[in-house]
Amino acid sequence: MVFDDIYKTYWNKVFRICMGYVNDYDWANDIAQETFVTVWQQLPKFRQESAIGTWIFRIASNHCLRQIERQNRMPRSEMPEQIIDHIEPDKEPQVQFLYKCIAELPETDRLIISLELEDVKQAEIAKIVGLSETNIRVKVYRIKERLSKKFENYEH
Amino acid sequence: MSTETDFKALWTKQSTSEIPDTKELLVKAQKLKTSTRNKLLGLNLVLLATMVFIIYIGLNIDNEKLTTKIGIVLIAIAIVSYLAASNQMIPMLFKTDLETSSQEYLAQLIRIKRKQEFLNKVMINVYFILLSAGLFLYMLQFLERMNPVWATIYLVLTFGWIALAWFYLRPRGMRKKQRALNDMIARLEEVNEQLGS
Repeated sequence: MVFDDIYKTYWNKVFRICMGYVNDYDWANDIAQETFVTVWQQLPKFRQESAIGTWIFRIASNHCLRQIERQNRMPRSEMPEQIIDHIEPDKEPQVQFLYKCIAELPETDRLIISLELEDVKQAEIAKIVGLSETNIRVKVYRIKERLSKKFENYEH
Repeated sequence: MSTETDFKALWTKQSTSEIPDTKELLVKAQKLKTSTRNKLLGLNLVLLATMVFIIYIGLNIDNEKLTTKIGIVLIAIAIVSYLAASNQMIPMLFKTDLETSSQEYLAQLIRIKRKQEFLNKVMINVYFILLSAGLFLYMLQFLERMNPVWATIYLVLTFGWIALAWFYLRPRGMRKKQRALNDMIARLEEVNEQLGS
C-alpha cells in the first residue's frame, strides 16, 4: 500500500483516537502526526503479519501512551470548562461531552473505547492492546455502562 | 439516548483537524531524523575534543611519572563515560518498539526507566570514583615539588571538596533524579495495571 493512500484513509481515525485520549485539539494533532511519521518510517519494513489497520492503530496507541512521559503537559480534562469552550466554540455539546468523558477514563480504557467506537473489531482491539478478546469484551461493556451513566446525569 | 449507536454517531461527529500535507509531514520526519543525528554528532565531537585535549596535555607535560599518565586516563574515562551515559548514547538500551501491543509497550517503557534508574545510580558513583582517583594520581607529581605546608593545604582543600561532593552533593542530586524516575515508573505501572484487571 502506498503511504499517501494510508495517510488519507487513516488520518481521521487516528486523529479521533488521539483526541479521545487527550481531548485537546492541538495535542491530538501532534500525536497523530507523530504516528504517521512512524508509519512512514516503518512502512518499508511492514511485513503484513497483521492487517495494516491493526498495525497503524498499535503505533497510534503507543504514541498516545508515550504521552505519560510528558508529564508537564496538563491533560485537557483537568482544565477549567470555559477554556475548552473558548477554544472550540462551534462544537456540538454532546460530542464535546463524550470526548471529555472518554479522556477522563483510565489511559488504557480510553484506547479501548476509542478503538471500539472507531468500529475496530474486538479481536483486533485485543491484538492492539495485548489482552484477550474476552477481556476486551468485558472492558468495552463496562466502559459503555460508565459512559451511559454519565450521559444520563448529563441529560437530566 | 445513551445507546451504543449514539456513542458511535457522536464519536464520528468530532471534527478532525485538516489533514496535513504529506510533504509537510515528511519534512517533519526528516527534521526529526537530522536533529537526532546532529545531536549525536555534536556529542561525539565534544567527546572527541575532550579526549584529544586530555591526551595532548598528557603527551606534552613532562610526565616522568606513570601515575600522572594513569591519572589523565582515568579522568578521561570518567568524563567520557559520564557524558555517554547521561546523554543516553547507548541508543540500543533506550529504543522502544512502537509496533507492539500496548501492554508490551508499557512494559518496555517501564524497563527503560528501570535501566535509567540503575545507570543513574551506577554512573554517578563510577564518575566520582574515577574522577577522584584520577585527580589524586595526577596531583602526585605536582605535590612532590611543593613544600610540605602547601602540599598539605592543597590536599586538604582538594579532598575536602571531593568529600563534600561525595557525601553531600552526590546523594542530593541522586535523590532528586531518583524521585523523578520513581514517580514515572509508578505512573507507568499504574497504567499497566489497568490492563491486569
